[in-house]
Amino acid sequence: MSTRERVLGVDRRRLLGREVPLPPRGVRRATSVVGFFVFWWAAVEYSFLDFGLFVGPIETLLAIYGYLLGDPVAGGDQSLYVHAVYSTYRVVAGVSIAALLAIPLGLLIGTSTRAGAGIEWNNYLSPAVESLRPIPPVAWVPASILLFPVVPVVGFPVNTAVLFVVFIGAFFPILVNTIEGVRDLDDEFRRAAQSLGAGDRQIFRHVIFPAALPSILTGVSLGIGLGWITVVAAEIVAGNYGLGYITFQAYRLLQTDIIAVGMVVIGALGYASSAVVQRIADRATPWSDIETT
Amino acid sequence: MSEQESDADARIGSRLQETDGHEELRDGHRNGDGEHGERARATGETLVEIDDLTKIYDPDGAHVTAVENLDLDIGDNEFVTVLGPSGCGKSTLMECIAGYLEPTDGEVLVNGDPVTGPDPSRGVVFQSNRLFPWKTIGQNARFGPQMRNAVDDDRIRELLDETGLSGFEDSYPHELSGGMQQRAELVRLLANDPDIMLMDEPFSGLDAMTKELMQEMLLDIWEEEDRTVLFITHDVAEAIFLADRVVVMTARPGQIKDVIDVDIDRPRDSSVLTSEAFNEYQERASELIHDEAERAMEQKQQETQEG
Amino acid sequence: METAKWAKRSASILGLLAIWLAVGVFGPQTLPGPIAVADAFAGYVQNPVYWNAIVLSTLRVLGAFTIAVLIGVPLGLLIGWNVVVGDFTYPALELVRPIPPIAWIPFTILVLPSIAFSLGFVGFEINTGILFITFLGAFFPILLNSIAGVRGIDDEYSRAAHSLGAADWQTFRHVIYPGALPSVHTGMVVGMGLAWVNLVAAEMISGGGLGFMTWSAYTGGSYPVIFVGMITIGVLGYLSSTIVRYVGASQLPWMEDATA
Repeated sequence: MSTRERVLGVDRRRLLGREVPLPPRGVRRATSVVGFFVFWWAAVEYSFLDFGLFVGPIETLLAIYGYLLGDPVAGGDQSLYVHAVYSTYRVVAGVSIAALLAIPLGLLIGTSTRAGAGIEWNNYLSPAVESLRPIPPVAWVPASILLFPVVPVVGFPVNTAVLFVVFIGAFFPILVNTIEGVRDLDDEFRRAAQSLGAGDRQIFRHVIFPAALPSILTGVSLGIGLGWITVVAAEIVAGNYGLGYITFQAYRLLQTDIIAVGMVVIGALGYASSAVVQRIADRATPWSDIETT
Repeated sequence: MSEQESDADARIGSRLQETDGHEELRDGHRNGDGEHGERARATGETLVEIDDLTKIYDPDGAHVTAVENLDLDIGDNEFVTVLGPSGCGKSTLMECIAGYLEPTDGEVLVNGDPVTGPDPSRGVVFQSNRLFPWKTIGQNARFGPQMRNAVDDDRIRELLDETGLSGFEDSYPHELSGGMQQRAELVRLLANDPDIMLMDEPFSGLDAMTKELMQEMLLDIWEEEDRTVLFITHDVAEAIFLADRVVVMTARPGQIKDVIDVDIDRPRDSSVLTSEAFNEYQERASELIHDEAERAMEQKQQETQEG
Repeated sequence: METAKWAKRSASILGLLAIWLAVGVFGPQTLPGPIAVADAFAGYVQNPVYWNAIVLSTLRVLGAFTIAVLIGVPLGLLIGWNVVVGDFTYPALELVRPIPPIAWIPFTILVLPSIAFSLGFVGFEINTGILFITFLGAFFPILLNSIAGVRGIDDEYSRAAHSLGAADWQTFRHVIYPGALPSVHTGMVVGMGLAWVNLVAAEMISGGGLGFMTWSAYTGGSYPVIFVGMITIGVLGYLSSTIVRYVGASQLPWMEDATA
């Protein structure tokens, strides 16, 4: 790829057939970011659509600074940190439970799809699971509020309804990717292991599981992404804490700076958690060149 | 300039001077073969002139000299094979002629003009098959002329027919065998009527038997079409079987180690492979390339350890 | 063999219903069982409110998805093809991307107006906020997959085209665009799924359509209707993904695995 930009005929520095003098890459990218903030500022300043009701980038930055120092947010007496911790814990807990259930289930369905496998678990399980999969996780919000109560655990109120919605959001991507990871493995690897004297259990441990791991981790990464989407939705509707809750509460109280701060913090945490999963995935599968994005 | 290179230069020089003699000799060989006797042979005119070519890659500070001070002339209607160990810069050489890469130093002239980019007069066949998978065989074959709005359907039908592909116009590449795909790529190239065909190990992915058939077919087409071919390979037998001239390259930095004139009667078929003359050429080329292959392997190992 | 397979697969669905039935009978009082839900369904099918909600949600998804395709695909192809265009646009998009569309909801209610217009006898009101949220859900998967699609095309295809005499725009038309299509298609399938996810959230919060119907069933205490809403959303989501998949596959006859 290093030669790509030097290729004569496919030269990407040429625009419309002319050689264009260009600033270096870093400057171009910085221009893009600066342009975004200028657009934001101008939209608020000159009240494009109803942007006049919103806050500009500078106010947002100042607000973030204030809330990072621990100012209480959105009419309550908790700081931004408390809400961030709530949302993060919900995502982590929901995705973890989803992974604990979806990975074994996916391995079971995936391995039983292969020819010569004992009980055809895939036929017993897939249709039931597949019939639930098309329902978007957010559509489970009313039903889960109805069914899952707030349970006190060591003095903290745990909103199991929100947890359940996050769980549903992460469950299906992890399941589907696990099944695919197992299914896509070339059967000759299994045969090779067999010929080398591995038993069923050893084949699973040394061949099937490691081969499916990159795909499983891709699923977890997608699950985290959907976890953040669903946690925000669930908290807006059903939470008393969390970043989704404060952004919507702020809208009700017309504290527009908190809406912006909430969005920034949600984005940053979502980005950070993807990065963490990515790092773990790269460490766990050094032999894999599949990008787990 | 090293001794080795000046030796190579001398050979090329003498070869150019002797072209007339070669021609006579060839015509002599061809007497019994009326049909092909008329074929315009290497005319003595130079089509491609590579002058002191150096290509250095600098990705992220790593300094790799792929080709260094290479001189080579390719005559009109000549079939030249470039033989070298893997990673010796033979693909780089081809990419500079094709116009994909800008030489770091020196220049490549085709018909006297410097190469400034890819051009339909310099057709390329790649190592892995590069038929467009989203186009049918027919659409692939038409691609070049279509770009200039000059599709000649008769010509394309003729080419598909010659290569045994008629009836597969509407198939997609993945529906064809490897050999058929390779033939289709050849058709796509010929339909575009290039002056020179640059072929980068085009048959290396084929099984031995298909490969042999493809080589024969390529020679047939070449005999019939009056074209210049630069053919890159790491297969000694292939290099000799096909070529008028075999250019043997060194391990990196790529330079010309030696040039072998292959004086075997044309048209050739697989019976040539068992002839005495062929064996002699093969022995000589194998000897030349053996040390270079070893060096190339050591380089590769060192890079893996460092990287 | 086939019969046995279908028996097992039916057992799977029946098992699911049996669990639901059991939980409905022995579980919390608030959970309606399958029979109550079927009953509510039968009533709702005759109710224009239900069909209005379906039409409204479907139109919103369709509109938002179409806009996402019209912007995301060309932009993605361009970003992938031309490093310079990429440098000027992609970093800004990358700033916005990590924010889940749903987190934009308060912002959109505040900033984006509702547009009302009439076509003589019928009046329309377009909630641009909901449209925007749904659009965002579909946009990024489509954009990212279009970019990845272009970057995934081996450079040698472009080289081959140039050597055969193709100009830059011809290379774009004959190599970049068709070569990126499979990935663009994957992006559309994912985007369609996320469009529904975000639509439902937006409708629950700011009104109208199946999302609101489901949510107001909860607040109004008619619990079986919650499940009517969920099932309807699930079926529509499934149908739209299937259509995108099917149309995509029919446009890609050259793929080795055209059913994917």
